[in-house]
Amino acid sequence: MRHSVTVRVGPAAFRVGADWRSPIEQLRDLYRDYPAFGGVPDFTVSLSAARPWRRWIRPSVAIGGDFTLPEAAPLPLAHGLLAAEMAMNLQMALGWRRHLLLHAATVERDGRALILCGESGAGKSTLAAMLHRTGWRLLGDEFALIDPATGDVHPFPRPISLKNSSVALLRDHGRWGSLLTGTPKGDIRHLIPDPASIAAMTRPAVPALLLFPRFGFDAAAREVGGSEGFVRLTTASTNYTGLGEAGFRTLTRLVHHVPMAAIDYPDTDVALTLIEELWR
Amino acid sequence: MRFRAAPADALLQASLDPFTAVFHRPSGQTHLLVSPAPEMLAALADGPLSLSDLHDALAAAFQLEDAEGLADRMAELVAAGLVTAEPAA
Amino acid sequence: MTDPDRPDYPIDEAVEAADGQPVAPVSQTRRRVLALGAAGAGAVLSIRPALAQTAGSVLTCQIPVPDSGRAGSFIAPDGSTVPAGTKGAFAPPGRPFQGEDVKRAMAGGRLPGTTYESNRAYVNYIRRLQRGQGGFTCFASLQMPRG
Repeated sequence: MRHSVTVRVGPAAFRVGADWRSPIEQLRDLYRDYPAFGGVPDFTVSLSAARPWRRWIRPSVAIGGDFTLPEAAPLPLAHGLLAAEMAMNLQMALGWRRHLLLHAATVERDGRALILCGESGAGKSTLAAMLHRTGWRLLGDEFALIDPATGDVHPFPRPISLKNSSVALLRDHGRWGSLLTGTPKGDIRHLIPDPASIAAMTRPAVPALLLFPRFGFDAAAREVGGSEGFVRLTTASTNYTGLGEAGFRTLTRLVHHVPMAAIDYPDTDVALTLIEELWR
Repeated sequence: MRFRAAPADALLQASLDPFTAVFHRPSGQTHLLVSPAPEMLAALADGPLSLSDLHDALAAAFQLEDAEGLADRMAELVAAGLVTAEPAA
Repeated sequence: MTDPDRPDYPIDEAVEAADGQPVAPVSQTRRRVLALGAAGAGAVLSIRPALAQTAGSVLTCQIPVPDSGRAGSFIAPDGSTVPAGTKGAFAPPGRPFQGEDVKRAMAGGRLPGTTYESNRAYVNYIRRLQRGQGGFTCFASLQMPRG
């Protein structure tokens, strides 16, 4: 690959190569506050032209790497940054074995972690960004990494991709990547985690509360019991099955030790209020 | 026909009231069991039993209801791979 | 399941009937009730691998109709693949369908560039996809509930 950069997020390092300069330059900029990494990367990602002529004519990025899905749709070059992010997510989802992965956002206060579990589009990234803005440390917006040995949650604090409607809520705070228009998720921008969160990206936290948030409903909160939580978390994990015994032990321990609740919220302000009440 | 449960060291179990989560090591599969499945597995712990012997063992320890459901519950355990059927000795 | 009216301890002392007359002592141990009928879904739930979760939430995906192993085949109205030129069957669309378009078609919409009949044929093809066929992972991920 003609152009490349290596980025490290939490415990994982990715070498991203591309046929074009622009996505690599955008990645360099997005990750400029992150510590430089000079070791052997865990994953290699490639952003290549879907067909040879696609390098110049309506340039189109095909996602490749150590782990791929053959059905991934190529993206236009203008969205190369999104392609890189998706490719890195895919490496983690399919290839990371050192922790149990949950689709969740995680924030921390006073050493205790709040895990917000939900699929892409469930609103967890916006909630994480709002909580981060009010002073919580950001551990991640896409994956929560649960340590099989200790049960702690390890940070994976990559820049948070937010839809433009969410961006408006947070615009005055923090450093942002450039605007990407017309993506499959609409207009998006990346919010870079604050320097303290980046500096702490190797410091784990003890999970204290796990929530299943649901956006677009009247405010409600109810406790989630062990069995229901266990089943929901197996569907929220990309590698529970692949981890075998370690997955079972890690997840049953998490469910035994961490209180869980489901919250419905019509808007983020209500969600933040519900969260503060449950956090006590 | 007798039914043999997976040996104790082939299973990891965790209580998630009211369910019991069971990890079957040979297959790597996870199952959630609810009463009477865990009690049936426990009754088979000392060796394989026919359905009628299992019925008697359970009746000695519990007050049984809907006893005719035992065959269906056993079929579920066999389908999950936690119990295997074998010819009577 | 404990019946609150039946205590779990041996009762062997004399018990009075409701009219005050003593009755014979009951010496059998009360055991907890075990229902073997398992009303509802049964007693064993097996956790299925979450393969589809991996694809659906980290990538936009596409579904080729038909998959590359059957390239050039036509699609019959019931979704099966048939030799090219078969009467009543539809030529394959020129390009794969995007995940979002397929999701909409599953909910009653129409795939882009299709007629009512060809849409139904392609949707039936997609519904019949099996693990191992191109597009299955994408299709499975579209089925998973969101949020």
